[in-house]
Order: sequence, then C-alpha cells, then structure tokens
Amino acid sequence: MPKHYRPPGKKKEGNAAKYITRSQAVKYLQVSLSVFRKLCILKGVFPRDPKKKVKGSHHTYYHMKDIMFLKHEPLLEKLREIRAYEKKVKKAKSKKNRDLAERLLSRKPSYTLDRLIRERYPKFIDALGDLDDCLSMVHLFAALPAKERENIQVNRIHNCRRLSHEWQAYISRTHKLRKTFISVKGIYYQAEVEGQKITWLTPHALQQVLPDDVDYNVMSTFLEFYETLLAFVNFKLYHSINVKYPPILDSRLEALASDLYALSRYFDANSKASRLDSEGVSLSVSQQVEDKQDETKLDEFELRLAQLQHQLPSNEPGALMHLVGDAEGNEEEDTDTRECRYLFKNMKFFLSREVPRESLLFIIPAFGGLVSWEGEGAPFDKSDQSITHQIVDRPTQQRKFLSREYLQPQWVYDSVNARIVLPTDAYFVGRVPPPHLSPFVDNEVEGYVPEYAETIKRLQAAARKEVLPMPGVGAEDLADSQTLLVEGIIDRAEAIEAAEKKEKMSTLQKQYHYELKLELQGTQYSSIANTVKQNDAVETDAGEESLSNLQQITEDVTNMSKVVMPRKKRKLYEAMQIGKERKRVRVDLLKERKKKIDAAKKS
Amino acid sequence: MAKKSKNSKGKNVVVEEEEDRLIPNLLDEEPRNSTQEEEDKAESSSSEYVSSDDNAGAEGADGYDSLTDTESESVDDEGNVTTDDDNDGESDSSEDEVAPRNTVGDVPFEWYKDEEHIGYDIAGKKIKKKEREDKLDSFLASADDSENWRKIYDEYNDEMVELTKGETKMIRRVLKGMAPHPEFDPYPTAVDWVSIDDAEHPFPNAPEPKRRFVPSKWESKMIVRLVRGIRKGLIKVDDKPKEENRVYLLWGDDPNSTERHHIPPPKPKLPGHEESYNPSLEYIPTEEEMKSYELMYEEDRPKFIPKRFTSMRSVPAYNKAVRETFDRCLDLYLCPRSQKKRINIDPESLKPKLPSRKDLKPYPTTCYLEYKGHRGPVVSISTDSTGQWIASGSNDGTVRFWEVETGRCLRVWEFGEAVKHVAWNPSPELPVLAVSVGQDVFLLKTGLGNGEEQKRVEDLLNVGSQMTPDDSDGGESIVKWSRDDNHGGIRLNHFKTVSSVEWHRKGDYFSTLMPYDILLLSSVLVHQLSKGLTQRIPFKLHGLPVSSAFHPTRSIFFISTKKNVRVYDLLKQRLIKKLETGVREVSSIAIHPGGDNVIVGSKDGKLCWFDMDLSSQPYRVLNCHPKDITNIAFHRSYPLFASSSDDCTAYVFHGMVYSDLNQNPLIVPLEILRGHASANGRGVLDCKFHPRQPWLFTAGADSVIKLYCH
Repeated sequence: MPKHYRPPGKKKEGNAAKYITRSQAVKYLQVSLSVFRKLCILKGVFPRDPKKKVKGSHHTYYHMKDIMFLKHEPLLEKLREIRAYEKKVKKAKSKKNRDLAERLLSRKPSYTLDRLIRERYPKFIDALGDLDDCLSMVHLFAALPAKERENIQVNRIHNCRRLSHEWQAYISRTHKLRKTFISVKGIYYQAEVEGQKITWLTPHALQQVLPDDVDYNVMSTFLEFYETLLAFVNFKLYHSINVKYPPILDSRLEALASDLYALSRYFDANSKASRLDSEGVSLSVSQQVEDKQDETKLDEFELRLAQLQHQLPSNEPGALMHLVGDAEGNEEEDTDTRECRYLFKNMKFFLSREVPRESLLFIIPAFGGLVSWEGEGAPFDKSDQSITHQIVDRPTQQRKFLSREYLQPQWVYDSVNARIVLPTDAYFVGRVPPPHLSPFVDNEVEGYVPEYAETIKRLQAAARKEVLPMPGVGAEDLADSQTLLVEGIIDRAEAIEAAEKKEKMSTLQKQYHYELKLELQGTQYSSIANTVKQNDAVETDAGEESLSNLQQITEDVTNMSKVVMPRKKRKLYEAMQIGKERKRVRVDLLKERKKKIDAAKKS
Repeated sequence: MAKKSKNSKGKNVVVEEEEDRLIPNLLDEEPRNSTQEEEDKAESSSSEYVSSDDNAGAEGADGYDSLTDTESESVDDEGNVTTDDDNDGESDSSEDEVAPRNTVGDVPFEWYKDEEHIGYDIAGKKIKKKEREDKLDSFLASADDSENWRKIYDEYNDEMVELTKGETKMIRRVLKGMAPHPEFDPYPTAVDWVSIDDAEHPFPNAPEPKRRFVPSKWESKMIVRLVRGIRKGLIKVDDKPKEENRVYLLWGDDPNSTERHHIPPPKPKLPGHEESYNPSLEYIPTEEEMKSYELMYEEDRPKFIPKRFTSMRSVPAYNKAVRETFDRCLDLYLCPRSQKKRINIDPESLKPKLPSRKDLKPYPTTCYLEYKGHRGPVVSISTDSTGQWIASGSNDGTVRFWEVETGRCLRVWEFGEAVKHVAWNPSPELPVLAVSVGQDVFLLKTGLGNGEEQKRVEDLLNVGSQMTPDDSDGGESIVKWSRDDNHGGIRLNHFKTVSSVEWHRKGDYFSTLMPYDILLLSSVLVHQLSKGLTQRIPFKLHGLPVSSAFHPTRSIFFISTKKNVRVYDLLKQRLIKKLETGVREVSSIAIHPGGDNVIVGSKDGKLCWFDMDLSSQPYRVLNCHPKDITNIAFHRSYPLFASSSDDCTAYVFHGMVYSDLNQNPLIVPLEILRGHASANGRGVLDCKFHPRQPWLFTAGADSVIKLYCH
C-alpha cells in the first residue's frame, strides 16, 4: 500500500490533520472573515508555519487546536448574537421605524474582554511583558484629534487619552521611568515595572496623518483589546500602591487639559487620605519646598480635593495635618529607582509655552523635579524666584532672570539618559545642542562609539567619583572598558606582528633569491640592464607589497581552515562572516564620514 | 419664433378652454337665442337669407358650390334629408327648452296610426291629430309663404316647426361634414400636461384611501394598553442601560495560574542613534549618498533616512505613524510565529582543530628557484628518479632538461609541435624520457648516468628501432614503432593524438591515453619498452579516459573518466572497483605511494580523497580552488600532496595515512603557494614533488617553472 493512501474511514494524520487553511477555518467556524479576524485578534491566535504545506504554499495555515480554541469561545456566540441584533436594527431602519431602531440601538448586546485578558495573560508579569504594543497604540490614538470620524469614535480617543495619562501618572509617581529618547517618529520612553522593561512611543503632539489605505476596523479591534488590557493593568498597578483606581479628577484642572497634573494631585490626595503612603508626598508636587510656609494653604487645597472625591468628610481637616511631614525613603526601593528619584532633587523647572509640555510634565516629576508651566492651573508662577531651570525652545530669550538657567528641552532628556545632571552650557538657548544619542544602543556591540557618548561617559565617571568615597571606582570602570577594548586589540596586534615577522623573513628570502637569480642570469643569459630595471621595480614594489602580503597571509590562513571544514559548518561560517562584514561596512562608513566632517571643520 | 408659437399656443389653450365652457352653454342657450333672434332680428336675417335663397334658386346655392353634385341633388328633393336633420335639431331644442308636448316616448308612430290622437300631454290629455290639410291648399300656402322653406313638419308633436337662422347654419355645416358649432376645433394642438417618457410605471391616479384620514383604532388601543402597562409598572421605560465600570482586580494573588503555551510576539526594534531628531553628524548621509539612494530600486532604498533638526520645535509630525502602527498590527495577527534558536557562537569555534603547522614541517613554503627559458606555457614537468634533473614540456614545441639545484638548462629538444606530456622513467637504471607530441610518443635518451647505463639505454632504444617491423599481437595497426633519428630515440606513432604518458614503477611498461573516441576500445594502450610491444587495455571504458595511473606496488591500473575512476586488476583482467567522485569533471588522478588512497582533482576546483578500503565514495572533499585543478601530486616519501590550479595557486597539504586501519587519514592544508602569473586565463599547469626532498616544482602558463622549498 502506498504511503500516501488513506483508506476510507480512517482519519487524517500528520500535517493534513494538524493544520487548516484560513478559508477552511472560516467555513468550519461558520463565521464571516471579518468576524474571524476579530476573533483571532482578540484571542491572540496567529497563523502557523507547517513544515509541509498540504494545500500549497500560498495559503495561510492555522493550527487545528487554535481553531478549536476559537470554536469553543463564548465570544463567538456573542458575536453571532450581535449580528442577529444588527439585522433587527437594519430592518427597523429600512421600515422607517426610527423609534424602534433607536430603542434597539440603545440596548445593543455588548461583550467584555476581561476573561480573554485573563486567559491570554494568566500572570500579571505576562501582561506587562506584552505591554509595548498596547502602550504605543493607545498613545498614538490619544494623540489624534478628538473629532468625530467614520472610522474612529471620539469616546475611544478620550478613553485612550485618559488611560495613557493614568499610566504615565503611575510611572511618574513611582519613579519607574528609566530611559527617554526623542526620535523623528516621536518620543520613546522605557520604564521598568516589576522587572519588565516596557518601551513605548508617543508621537509628537502634532497633527497626525490618517492614511486611507489602512484598515481601521483591524486597528480598532486591536485598540479595543488594548484599552481593556491597559485599564486592567492600571487598576492592578494603582491597587498595588493603594490608590483607588478609576481616579476622579479635579474638573478644573481637567478642563485646562492638564490631566497629568490633575492625576498627580489625585495621587497625593489619595495617598494622604488613605494614610498609607508615607513617602511620595514630599516629592511630586510643591509641598516639599513650600511645606513650612504654605502648610495651611495647602491643606485647604487638599481638603478641597478630598471633598471633591467624596472620600473624606468635610469636617476632618486634622486628618490631613500629619500626613504632610514624615517623608522618608522606602527601603524596598532598589538603587536604580532611588537614583532616578533623586536626579532632579531640589530643582524647580518652569516650562515655556513652546516646549512639549505633556512629555516634560511626565519626565521631570518622574526624576524628582518640580515643574510648572505657563498657563492656568500651574502650581507656581513664572516669576517664582526659586525656579532653577527654565526650559525654553526659542531662538533667543529676551528677559532673563539671573537666578535660573535657560535650557533647551534636550538637556532634560540627555540628563535622564545619562543619570547625571549634565553641564548646561552646551544646551543654552540659541545654541545648537550636542547630538542626541539613543540610550537603547550598546555602543560596544555596535562597534562605533559616537563622540558625545564618550564625553558623557567621562562625565559619568567624574560624577561617580565625586559621590562615592572610594577612590577610583569610576576610573576602574573606565579602565575596564579600556581593557576590554585592549583585549580586542591584542588579538589583532598579535596576528599583525606575526605576519610582519613572516613578511620580514620573506623579504629577506626574496632578496636572497634575487641575488641568486642575478647570479644565474649573469652566468647564463647575462642581461644586466634588464635586471637592474627589475631591481628598481622590485624595491619600489616592496613597500606596497608588504601591506598586501599581510592581508594575503591572513586571508590564506582563513582560507585554509575553511578548506577542511565540513560543508554545513562552512556555510554557517560564511553566513556569519557576511553579517560581520555588513556591520563592519556600516561602521566604516560612519568612521569615514566622521573623518571627513572633522577634516572639513579643521580647514 | 419659439416664443411666438408658445404664445399662440397659449392663446389657443385659452380659446379652447372658453370653447369647452362655451359648448354646453351654447347647447343650453341656443334655442333661447334662436327664439330671440327670431323675434328681434327677423327682418335683417330674412333679408340675408333671401339673398342667399336667390342665389340658390338661380343656379344651385353658392354655399353648396363646394359640395358634390349628389348632395346638391339631395338638397333638391328636400323632403327626407331636411326633415331628418331638422327633426334632430328640433327635438334637441324642444327637449331642452320646453318639454315636448307629447309624452308617449320613443314608440313607433304606427301604433297611433289608426287613433285620432298622437299621444298625451303632461296633463294626460289626449293630443288630437290635426286635421289633414288639403294637398293643394298646403301647396298654395307654401307657395305663398316665402318662409315656407324653413318650416318643417314635426310628426311626433304633429306640428309645423320653423327653423331659426342658427339652426339652418348648423344644418348647413353638418351637411358639409363639419362640426355643428363654428367655433369647435376638432383637431386641437396636443399639449403634454405630464411627461411620462422616462417613467417606469403608469401615472398613479388612485385616490387617497380613506384610512389615510382616519386615526387608527388599533394603534389607539395599543397605546392604551402600553400606557396601562407603564402605569402599573409592567413595562419599564429607561432610556439607556447604565454604563457600569467593568474594571476590577483581574490578577489577584492566586498562585495556581496556568502557564500559557503561547509564543509572545517579538518586540519591535528599538531605535538607534540614527533615528534621533538630532543625530551625530556622521549618521546623516552625504549628498552624493542621497543621490545614489535615488538611483536605487524602491526596494533596495533604505527605509529610514536620518535627518537632523537643530531644535525640538522644528521637528515635524511623523507622517507614517498610523501606517507603521497598522503594519505592526498586521504583523501581530497575520504573521506565522515560530520559535527559532539563535546561534550565538564565535565563528572561530566552527573551525576544526588542526595540528599546528609547525609540527608538520617540512613542507614547501617559499619559492626558491625559477627556471626560465620556455617561450610558451609549460604544460608538463617530470623529475628524474634521482632528483637531480627535471624535464619540462611546453606549448612552444620544446622539451627542456634542467639541473634542479642550479636551474641550468642542459638540453633542448625541438619538436615543432606543442608538447602534451613529459614523463621520466621511474627506474634509476633507465634514464629515458617519454614525451607525447601530437600523435607521437617519443622515447628519448637523456645521456645521463654512467657509461654502462648509457650503453644499456642505447641498446634498448636501438633494439626498439629494430623491433618496429615486428608485429606483436595486433598492436601494429594502432601504433607504429620506429626509430627517430632527429632526437635519437624511438618514435611511437599513434593513430590519434596522445594526451598523456604514464610509466609503470619498474620502468618497463608505460601507458598512453588517446581520449578522442568513446567507441574505441583502444584509447588506452600499454606499451612494453623492452620488447617493443603494444597492447590494448581489454576493458570497456564508460566514457572518455581523462587520466590513468599505475598502482605503485601491485599490478593494478587506474583509469579515470570524466565522472568515475575505475580500478582494474591487470593480471586477472577484471574490474576491481569503481570510485564515484561526484564532481563535474575529473582532471587528474594521483595514487598515494601506499597504494590504498587516491586523490582526484576536478575541473570545479574540488579535490576528492578516496580511501579505497573505506568506500567508493570520497572520504573527504576539499573545496580549495575557485578554478580548475590542473594537476595533483603525492610525495613519494613525505606525507605531502599538492594540487595546482588555474587560479595561479598551488595548495600543499599534509596527508598522513596511518598503518592502523582504524585511524582515518589526516588531512591538513599547509600552505598556499603563489607566484605564478595568469596567462590566457590559465595559471599553474603542473606540479610535481621532488622525489627525495619536500620540494615542489610548479609549471606555469607564464612559461616559468618554480621550485618551492621548505
């Protein structure tokens, strides 16, 4: 019996049974393609790549188990129900029974995704690990203008904005932000929550382009899932620091579109009210600086907030009193967080109108600074004498306070990445700031270290020396890196040395041969003129040849070892070599450009 | 014009409307009018009609001129026609104005023929028949009365009726076949009140049904029922279901959460320095590079071109943000995911551990001597068994004979035709050189050795010349042995071009190859020098012979065709083994001095090492040369072998064969020898080891022979 023959009645086996094409799956589930798509997105089902593609290589294959997983999903039934309901609405509409249609529309069946989230992310850590895309998308939609379109609803955008602010408030509040990067695409942030590095991108606060050739249905399905996920994650995070989750904000601040600040106020109030948080109060808002003079005023404010939230009875002002002080560091914090927390300590920032306010309002408190901005609802005024830094992004600053420094926003981002307060003179208003480098790149691995990265490294080392009583920690660090580099160099050097030796030998030999030859020629053919010429030629060539010879020798060595390798390993080796070569070419290009730029500068 | 016509139409319309209104009026009022006319304008009308009558009386009426003759006749015998018409007109007028006297209705007159009355009036009284007038009287009366022509007898009412002027006009018009009323237009211009050209359905004209105007009973009943339901609280009216907040603590701290068997999506790539809004200057491509990008194909062009903005306020919105997010979404739900192991190893660790080359010394490393003198590519070289001399054959038609250590050319033989192969007799007693040139193979005495040896050679070659006429087992037809006086040796004339000559180790036998015809059995010949014999190889070859070799110790003969190497036992005369090389085209073959290992060089630059005891597949294939391998050679005593190639290099390998059969041969590449220049696309054409020293001779297409020493 041939192997491929399957007797009737016997079940399919192997890949034919394990995998199913998409159209088969759609038929099997008895849904439309769009519903299938939606289900796949929500359930996190993705196609597989079977080794043997039974139906041909141009199909998309799903694992049969995944399809069964979808089949037993209660959401499927719910979606069918919704479809039937929509038919009712349509019927009512086409019969011009507008009343009925409206009534039906108002009681549409809906579904919840909490169970799905639990299913996809059984542990909270899993959810945090998968949060990158979620945050990027929610932040993107939060940046869209809140106006009614046919593809994106306004309330979704509002929800996204709220969720993103809540997330930022948490990160900023708990000082979990680690890295920031202004790119052409937007601003990247990296936070570390429960050991998970979460990176997300927020677009620049400008008009976004909404292309037509994008399927917004797919996007909105994703967004639907992400919104729910982020809401639950936020809940869990807020819960972990004992703050009531759906935060109720000061409507005045909310109206002024400074939600983030409102949220931070909420945090403060909440922590005080619940008497659990003993540390953060002093840091995030103005209390710490002004705590002595303005205590009564502040308390009033807090009280008002608390009343707003219906969390405190109005006749209990004393409850707030003792919460203001007593702000000592928490032991369970790791060193990283502490470092971040005290980076901008005792600094007061003021943001001008033109700088990206949202971003800086998020970053500066996250690193322990105090911020205010131009506009209503700001915690302190522009003329406040205690302001140390003013962030300005304009060609020149007319009126200057002598007590503060006028800096470009890049200074904040660079300082945050370097974890030291960088010297400010390069970032003054009107100057072209030094290059902004990505904190996500490992320069050693990349093979090229930009100039400014080195200066920052030196500054870091210097700063560390200052702080640490032990001398030479920073120096050691530096030395370490140098030794690392040196080790790499030594290998090379050795090889070159050996080659040189060999080369010397060979030149000697050559000379000897040449003399011999001369003798021979002298005896036999005696064409002296010719030999003299050759002699000259040889001598001039010698210098050029020595270099090429060196390369030749190293090449020969690699070639010879390649000859004996088995084919599989040889191919692998060659593939690796290609990757290396590409990298080398890239680095060489950079170096060459750098050299040219330097040359142009000098001349 | 158009306007005018419209106007005229409008007028027409008006007229017609008036007519429509007028016609019934006319019908109503005409009798009255006519009576009035009778009374008021009797005189004038009479005068008119008189005149007309006169005309009629004279020569048929003018008015009738237009009529046909027959009609004029009918007018002449007045009675029937006129009565009929008048009757109609009369009845019309009488009916409308005054009710007819008689009330019997439309019954035949015969019924009253015999009665003295003709019917009954409204009061029910009998209407008496009038007295019949005398014909003569009536005629006279009519003759007297000028108005008599307009009087008509009404049989129904039994009275004489006098026609009015209008009635006569009407009658006249009817007689002409025209409409009775002068102002009636029988053919009005049609007006399209509604255009129905493009309408699918007929113009709906159904009257609105009554139910449209009457409030529905059942609806009101329903309303009453609903109102009662709402009042009683059976029906609840709330505009919208409440938006409840569904967020709760999803991840409690229950430890028994199941592991998910799910491949997490790969994280998006993190941005590098070049994506910064203000990257270092070296990350920004120069103008020339930008131009070169434009020349590239769309796909090859870099996806992201770094740009520099000197301040944050000048950074524009990124216009591909939504697009890229969407692409990421597509990746997440449409791309198959699979976990792949990423190899993270040092590429150097892939290289096999080889013994240090220092331990494998001596081997040829550097060029020590060059032998110059040939004026064409040196095709073949051969070393003397003592290692003191080498011979070389070149395409310029000469064979040269060199002293190894000095590089002195001792002798030159001129053949005038390209030399194909040179081979020195391996036996030290017989210093004879075999040279293949074209179709001939020459056996040359070299004049080496002591006198005794020279004598022996002389004898042998002389004997050869004597033996040429002898025919020996059919070899004569293939090869002609003859004495060559020019060079002092034997000349073996083959019928085809000879490509190579190989000696047996004892120096008595040698084989020649003629790779020109597959069908010929005799393309490989074995000659015996001492007897001057020639034999065909009694085996069938599968393909053209490329190269041949004698086993160094046993009577075994190797012949390689393009694909395979066949091993024959010469004593038993049968095939022992077939070695499958698996290369494209074999170019050369060499036997290890132990006899159990064979290397085969191919034209695709591969070198195959066969262990004859192991299998018929190569033990190892070395992919060393990028171009054709031209020749390969084993050293007779050192564990060395070499390959020469058209890429102007020669490889020297360490090839150790152990006497322990369990241990595989050790192959280590030792050195790449360079130095030859390329000529006409050819590089090194031949390589031979020195028989005693670890030295290698290479013959190049640049007409130089080189000696590489350790």
